[in-house]
Parts: sequence; structure tokens; C-alpha cells
Amino acid sequence: MQNPYEVLGVPSSATAAEIQSAYRKLAKKLHPDLNPGDKAAEEKFKEVAAAYDLLGDADKRKRFDAGEIDASGAERPPRQSYYRDYAGAQADHSYADASGYADFMDGDDIFADLLRRSQKARTNRRGEDMHYRLEISFADSIAGATRRITLPDGGTLDVKIPPGLVSGQTIRLKGKGAPGFGTGGPGDALIEVDVLHDPRFTREGDDITIELPVSLSEAVLGGRVRVPTATGAVTMAVPKGSNTGTTLRLKGKGAPKRGGGSGDQLVKLKVVLPGKPDPDLEAFVSGWEKGKSFNPREEG
Amino acid sequence: MAMTREEFLKSSGLKVKVLDVWIEQEWLLPERTPSGLRFREIDVARARLIGELQSRIGANEAGIDVILHLMDQLHGMRRALAELRREMGEPKR
Repeated sequence: MQNPYEVLGVPSSATAAEIQSAYRKLAKKLHPDLNPGDKAAEEKFKEVAAAYDLLGDADKRKRFDAGEIDASGAERPPRQSYYRDYAGAQADHSYADASGYADFMDGDDIFADLLRRSQKARTNRRGEDMHYRLEISFADSIAGATRRITLPDGGTLDVKIPPGLVSGQTIRLKGKGAPGFGTGGPGDALIEVDVLHDPRFTREGDDITIELPVSLSEAVLGGRVRVPTATGAVTMAVPKGSNTGTTLRLKGKGAPKRGGGSGDQLVKLKVVLPGKPDPDLEAFVSGWEKGKSFNPREEG
Repeated sequence: MAMTREEFLKSSGLKVKVLDVWIEQEWLLPERTPSGLRFREIDVARARLIGELQSRIGANEAGIDVILHLMDQLHGMRRALAELRREMGEPKR
């Protein structure tokens, strides 16, 4: 090691204050953390620091001046790292600060764009929420289901659809959005669910309405018929003397309610005559006297 | 590798009171977790730097405030520059 007086640029007669002042001047110039881009600064600063370790300590300086110790005795173990080694390399520490160039990010030029992108990757930031759409059948909207969606990046997401969901409802999957940066944590996945229209069913609140065609004989004589529901067909009794517009209620066959239980399925009957004219029916009706005097367009 | 407060005090050689003041001044920003403060290597390096600014370079409190603020901005700019260089396809040295 060089003569510490030379390193600090002071005469050997310098006062303690002069030594300190010389050191501070050099340290400001050479401290690696005050010169993050200067790779050579570290070596130079080490020498200066070692020289000051020796001369800045009155006792050590006396012994050095007396020749009791030499300059190398004051050399410090090599320092492992400086702040710049961390602040420069890590993108996601809590001291990151973009305010030195934030104004450059406002433009719409390529430079601003690049900066914005690099900025995004740097600060502690919660990941973005990702929005997806999912189409499900009417039956799934009532019974609930699990659907797997494929994400743009090739990954998949299992979406649990709660029973009774209505079209336009959004399911939030916590933490399944874009990854966050630093300590930000990931965003959520927001899945907006579209319920596909089913021509058979109409949902009103928790009740589901269905129009069920019945034959003339089922309407007049009553009978048991199969009725589709959102959760599968069931058998229902059509009472004797039913008519078009007669509404029957299937308890608990509607959509699940929030607080538990379910709505009902309302079955509106619609009497349908055979598609083809039937000579037997014609013969029967022409012999049915009361049928001739019944006018459904007259009240009472 | 996160450190607890005790581990950090040991690693940095700081006194408890000094650490509390530096955190209060936001010179150090350890992560706050339910089980207490968590420190990282960067906090140790930063604490060492603050100590040097104070004792050896002779910066006072206001000076350290300013230095740290500007230094963090400088590092931010250096990272942005490095990022730009990468984005522009310059080979990394």
C-alpha cells in the first residue's frame, strides 16, 4: 500500500481536521455508492478508506508515524458489497424510485413505451386482474359445475360455478390473475359468465317457467307426463280438466336461492291438437253438443 | 433470504435505538409481516451506507435524506437504462 499521507494528499504535518476534510472530499468523489457506474471507484476508495482508518485514528497515526506499524496493517478485510450492488441489480426492492425519469414515461413515443414497460417490472405492484368470459349451459347455471378454461398463455384455470348463477355474474378467483411484482402479490381472475339461452326454460328470479305441450286427452282426462327440468326430467301429474294456460308448480325445481332452498318450476300447459286432421276426432267433436255452444271469446 | 429484526441488528451492527430512528425516517424500509419486520441483504448494505455517510462523510440528517432520495432515483434511472439497452437488443456485457 502507498503512503497514506500521499493517498489522502495531505502533508505529514496535517492536523486531524485537515485529514478528515481531505478524506471526506475524496470519499465523496470515490465512494462506490456515490459512483454507482464507476467500477474503478471501489479500488480507489478502498485505499482512501484504509489510509483514513490509519490517519484518522490519533493513536494509530502516532504508531504509524513512529514506525511501529506500516500502512498494510491498516488494510481492512475486503468489503463484500456496497449498496449499489443490490440497488442496481434487483428490480423489486422497496427503495426503487422512478421519480427521476417519470416525466419521460408520459409520452407516446417508443422511448416512453420502453420505460413504462421496464417500470412495470420494477415496483412493488399487485398483479393485474385478468378478465375472462365463460359460456355455460342453462342446466349448469342451475346445478353448478366446474369448467376448465384455457388461458392465453396455455395454462388452465378451473372455475367452480356456483349453483343458481345468472348470466353476467362474475366469479372472482383470488390470486389467479397476473403475477405481481415484488411484494405486490398476484391479481385476481375475474370470469364473467354468460348463460346460454335454453329455448325451453325462462328464469324469473328463482323460479323457472316452462311451457309444456299436452295432448287433448291429457288435458281433459288428466295423466302423468314427463317434464324436463334444469336438473333432469321428472314425472308430474296433470290434473283432469287442465287447459292451456293452466300453471302447475313443481316445488323446489327452480334455481337455488342464496340463503338456501330453491325456487319452483312453473309448468304452463299448452293443449296441442294432433298435427294432422283426424277423422275420428272430427266425428267425435261434431257429435259433442255442448262443445258447439261453448264460446271461449265470451266471458262467463 | 429474509432476516428478523434481531438477525438484522446482528448483521448490521446497528443499535436498536438507531434502527428504530432510521425506520421512522424511512431510511430503511423493511417488509412488515404479521410476524414482525423482515430485512434483506439490501437493507444491510443500505444501513452500512447510511452509517458511512453519517460518521465518515459527515452528512447530517437532512443531507442523508437528500442523498438517499437522489441515490434511489439514480439507481432507478440506471435500471431503466439497463432495461432499455436490453429491449433494444444490445448484447449484455
